[in-house]
Amino acid sequence: MDALIQVLIIGLANGLIFALVALGYTLVYGIIELINFAHGDVFMLGSMLAYFLIAPTSAGAWGIFPITADTPLPLKIGQILIVLAICMVTMATLNATIERVAYRPLRNAPKLAPLISAIGMSYVLQNIGLVWGGAYQRTIDSVFPSTNLLEPLGITTIAVTPAQVFVGAVTIPLLIALSWFVSRTRQGKAMRATAQDPDTAGLMGVDVNRTIAITFLIGGGLAGAAGVAQLLYNNYTQYQLGFRFGLNSFTAAVLGGIGNLQGAVLGALIIGEVNALSDYYLSPNWTQAIVFGVLIGILVFRPTGLLGQQLADRA
Amino acid sequence: MTAATDTATTDEIGSGIGGWLGYVGHTLGSMPGQYRVGLRQHRRRTIGLTILFVAIVLYPAVGHYVLADFSRNVIPIPFPDDTVSTFMAIFAIMAIGLNIVAGFAGLLDLGYVAFYAIGAYTAAFLASPHFGALGINLVFLGNVGPGAAGIHLPYWIIMIVAVVVVATFGALLGAPTLRLRGDYLAIVTLGFGEIVPLFFRNLSSVTFSLTLGPIVINIANANWTGGAQGINPIDPPFIPILNWVFDARSGPAAVYLGLFLLGVAILVARNLERSRIGRAWGALREDETAAEMMGVNTVRTKLLAFALGASFAGVAGSFQASYLGASTSDFFDFSISILVLIMVILGGIGNIWGAVLGAFALTYVDKTLLPYIGQRIGDIAPSLPNPAEYNFLIYGVILVLMMRFRPQGFLPSRQREAELSVHGLQEAEQEMGIEAEVDNISVAPPGQSEVGPGARDVEVPGEGRDL
Repeated sequence: MDALIQVLIIGLANGLIFALVALGYTLVYGIIELINFAHGDVFMLGSMLAYFLIAPTSAGAWGIFPITADTPLPLKIGQILIVLAICMVTMATLNATIERVAYRPLRNAPKLAPLISAIGMSYVLQNIGLVWGGAYQRTIDSVFPSTNLLEPLGITTIAVTPAQVFVGAVTIPLLIALSWFVSRTRQGKAMRATAQDPDTAGLMGVDVNRTIAITFLIGGGLAGAAGVAQLLYNNYTQYQLGFRFGLNSFTAAVLGGIGNLQGAVLGALIIGEVNALSDYYLSPNWTQAIVFGVLIGILVFRPTGLLGQQLADRA
Repeated sequence: MTAATDTATTDEIGSGIGGWLGYVGHTLGSMPGQYRVGLRQHRRRTIGLTILFVAIVLYPAVGHYVLADFSRNVIPIPFPDDTVSTFMAIFAIMAIGLNIVAGFAGLLDLGYVAFYAIGAYTAAFLASPHFGALGINLVFLGNVGPGAAGIHLPYWIIMIVAVVVVATFGALLGAPTLRLRGDYLAIVTLGFGEIVPLFFRNLSSVTFSLTLGPIVINIANANWTGGAQGINPIDPPFIPILNWVFDARSGPAAVYLGLFLLGVAILVARNLERSRIGRAWGALREDETAAEMMGVNTVRTKLLAFALGASFAGVAGSFQASYLGASTSDFFDFSISILVLIMVILGGIGNIWGAVLGAFALTYVDKTLLPYIGQRIGDIAPSLPNPAEYNFLIYGVILVLMMRFRPQGFLPSRQREAELSVHGLQEAEQEMGIEAEVDNISVAPPGQSEVGPGARDVEVPGEGRDL
């Protein structure tokens, strides 16, 4: 039982990172019906950038914010916040640039053209990661102590580490902020209108191109934050990370009902748990097959996902 | 010479490869008058393809003696060697198969590598000592001594088995996706493309026991697929009486076998395109709802597209495994699916010759040109990056640029060109002598033309040449 709870906690932390990436997929699909294949690679570049900012120069990185487990807590929090800000802004800019270069010219092309363009973009970004970080896995020493935060409560068989708390502290405020932005602000209303019907939204005075660009900015920013969380929680990054992670997150978005923000978070948490359970009880060799099995199962039997999103003829 | 008589002669000659060869003969025979008409009728392509065809057939034999010496002694030009030439043929067969699914039927398959893998492993299972370890031995007409361990069948039987097995898997994997359209279909097929090689990688130590009444199945640590090491050696294709072996050491012989298989593939694909099922695929691609209304059985048509398209990968995969003598799961990853897709898109989606040329060009760039450039750069400045390591960076850029500037490919199929651009539609209409007003005729009055959300997917009213 303790083992199961422990596995579920690990799955929860990974699921929260998936949620940030899945939101990027679901926002973009909701608004322009494009599976942004390159999104996972934006996340990968985010974690790569975080690696280069944090890892020491002896490892071939820049070492600008040399955070280690021994750094005093206020300084550590400050540095992590700066790294987060840099990665989010850079990845937001990158994502919006990709939209401008690779997707916007294809706005009126047949639907599969932007998808193929996105696949091409995914390979471009993946190879940028390869040129930048090399083919091998780049690891950092954990910046968080491996203490068990539940020990003061007298629980020793189940561990919650500071790294897991950190993941929650990064992702949950972002999820709340995004929800507020989409449902409460004027720009969020423009996004929802564009998602429903871009032509009509344009007629009502919404700048559709600007709204789509902002959607990509937000998605990129969330992917950048997820990249930092991935590096500091799992302590590694690699150029191929985006493909696997991206497919997990896309599965999460579809599971929850693509285009549905709450659904993406719910789906991500479920996919995180599926990953953790399969890794522990079955074998990491089969995890990817199981996630794909889930994806195929949903698309075939319930294309609208758990929380539902009427996609009519598209699916 | 009027256009009317020329049309009549074209009709007499007929269609298909035979028709094409007949047309070439006819055109060459009645030069120069007919030749000019031929050129004017957009048949420059025919002449170009003829020259190319002759060059390709001569290349494996001539390449060794003339071009290799030329490259060695005069100007160093990277000519493809026998292995690369064989792979050109293999990838061209794959590209033709994917072109059937994605080009003819319009079903974007991102997991095509799965069928390639199944084809390769079919050859590996049926012509290697692998199953000897499990106590399964069967030798039938194989080029091994009697009593050899494992299953050994001749390649010619394996190829047929591979076609049947892969076509079956094509239909099986296609069946769950029947309700899906467009990008969801792409993602599901991608999933299959990832799962199938995973099975080949992971089923190397199978342990389970099953009791069904009196039947007890007990499998302990059975190695079914060879795991990450894969399966080798696999018997090469072999013609018994002539003692011809088509393996990696056989030089031009394997290239000619590859070209022969490619020729058969082109012939089959060409006939499929012009058959009843080919027209049904076209109708399905243009507008699924309309095709169904017109009496096209969409389930059967889609399943046939998946099965027939996949069977080409079965031929390619089984030939590749037999030719190389090995099959490893690592070879079959997502990038192969994308590589074949780029070949089809480069050449012009929907066009068989485009797929073949795209496959030739990209295989050459991937296996000969980039390594050669990398070697040259390495000689001059070893610190610079080797382009052969970053080949997919180049292919990614190609995909993005192609979608942006030339989505119809370099040898576009006329019909697909019309779909991909309004401009192209007008051109195609002019070529076919159809008035533009045809577009304004619609079945329902303007007020009632709402056919649900699907109407948004129809970019250009389907002006189907085949309908």
